[in-house]
Amino acid sequence: MIKTAQNSAGELVYEAIGLKKQYDNGKVAALRGVDFQIRQGEFVAIVGPSGCGKSTLLQMLGSLANPSEGVLKYRGNSISDMADPSEYRAHEIGFVFQSFHLLPTFTVSENVQIPMFEGKFSRSERAERAGELLKSVGLDHRLGHFPSELSGGERQRVAIARGLANHPSVVLADEPTGNLDSENAQQIIELLLQLHRDLGVTLVLVTHDLAIAELATRTIRMKDGRVIADSGATPLIDSP
Amino acid sequence: MTFFTIVVRGLIRRPVRTGLTLVGISIGIAAVVALVGMAWGYEKSIEKQLDVIGIDLLVSNMSAGIMPKVYDASIQEPISKLPHVAETTSVLMQLLSIEDAPMMMVSGREWGGFTWNKLKIVEGRMPKDADEPAVVLGVLAAEVLKKKVGDTVQLETLELPVVGIADGGAVVENGAILLSLKIMQQATANEGKVNFIDIRLVPNTPKTAIDELCEKIKIIFPEGKARAANEVVSANQGFRIARAMSWSTSLLAIVVGVLGVMNTMLMTVFERTHEIGILLAVGWKRKRIVYMVLCESALLGFLGGVMGVTIGAIGLKILEHTPAIRGLLEPDLSPKLLLISVAIAVVVGVISGLYPAWRSSRLSPSLAIHG
Repeated sequence: MIKTAQNSAGELVYEAIGLKKQYDNGKVAALRGVDFQIRQGEFVAIVGPSGCGKSTLLQMLGSLANPSEGVLKYRGNSISDMADPSEYRAHEIGFVFQSFHLLPTFTVSENVQIPMFEGKFSRSERAERAGELLKSVGLDHRLGHFPSELSGGERQRVAIARGLANHPSVVLADEPTGNLDSENAQQIIELLLQLHRDLGVTLVLVTHDLAIAELATRTIRMKDGRVIADSGATPLIDSP
Repeated sequence: MTFFTIVVRGLIRRPVRTGLTLVGISIGIAAVVALVGMAWGYEKSIEKQLDVIGIDLLVSNMSAGIMPKVYDASIQEPISKLPHVAETTSVLMQLLSIEDAPMMMVSGREWGGFTWNKLKIVEGRMPKDADEPAVVLGVLAAEVLKKKVGDTVQLETLELPVVGIADGGAVVENGAILLSLKIMQQATANEGKVNFIDIRLVPNTPKTAIDELCEKIKIIFPEGKARAANEVVSANQGFRIARAMSWSTSLLAIVVGVLGVMNTMLMTVFERTHEIGILLAVGWKRKRIVYMVLCESALLGFLGGVMGVTIGAIGLKILEHTPAIRGLLEPDLSPKLLLISVAIAVVVGVISGLYPAWRSSRLSPSLAIHG
């Protein structure tokens, strides 16, 4: 039996085995059997044309959707069998969305504090940590502003700060530069790379931009719901 | 930022809708305060009147009406001879329309009885004797009727001069027209009839002796019943009906409030599908989302309750001074009623939020985010 392993020596974080996802009572197949492994500290870019299933895959990694078939494990535990997936979403991963998804009636600082309500932070600790995170993304002068008062790049930086609120070990980014101009897109990618380097977080990034994918330590190419290439996967002979 | 900040933000994001919902709840709660406050106030006013006069037991033939039926005054004599009875006096009391006032308490009292003792004349004098065709007005009754000493009052078939104005120490006493029993019986064509025998007991009469006395009165007057002064109001079927009506009308107002809050909270949840999806995606537990929605609806209820209590209290104070009410009752605005009303509003809020909260907890974060 052949299975894949990664070049990185880090601990196994994700393991996907035969992942399938169907919508509309099976009429639409978003994933048609996907297998891969991701290890701690990797920067994985998932690339492919629109509709290839890369965003669906990211949603599964984030426990926002369950597979129709197959198993997706996080550190050895099936994500869809987790008793409380919100624990996993709150403490293990940070999400960065293409459309930022900030809450418009909350300030920049408050948006970053929102996930911390599921953590063991006091009121002052929440405010303090939000300040630190926003400083790390260069927005400490915007704490009291509302999202509508920020540029697209600034909003995405707030979203990144929010994604890091509860010290996640994995950051899942879904087309984080998709709504940004090239200058802001460059800044956001540099910021994600810096966080990946400095904090050691595993970064899984979905993009259709091959230039961004080239910055990743590994690229998974998808087409029609399948992985067609994986730059980091090495075939191994499974021991009995 | 605290969790409460998030709850408040949820409400103020649509200030007009929140405001209109608050108005809806507050009207319902104002109705509760006004109607129940009137019912309780009437009961308390009667109880205070009996307390001020110093009545221990009342013998009456309570019916479904507010006032008991009349009966033969001769029953008083055997009752007065029973053990532990210190003093008795007869009263014929009726609610009558007097001139422009729609309803006033008119109290014909046995001349020389203890029910006259606590009245303080503030102007004029008392009637000279049981036969003098004259009335004394309570201070509020004089204000309502706009009468002074020397004027006359049309009481059914008799036109009677006002000889005095008195302070009775209780709203119902001050709102009443007082006259001798004999003149009252003539005016209302109830010669020889009364509807209350008021009893004062020998001091420190034990409860068992009072119960025995009530049994003996029952033998003398099988159609009627002797009750302790503090039980008179609660035993009256008319009061019970009034209380039930006030609560049932209030219930209708509350149901309207529930529907209003539920509609608002459902709209809120539908409108905030995307926001709730984001909260779930960043790790919020479903129970925290449910708690947030319930807190918002409870806060709506609480604020509506506070507004409603304020409106109801102001309304009651205005009603208290209308000619139809003045002198008949002192509305009850006790902390108990106000707290109950606010508590009802909060419960209304929570109940109204249950379904929207359940709906919000069923949202799929993926669908909520991507629409």
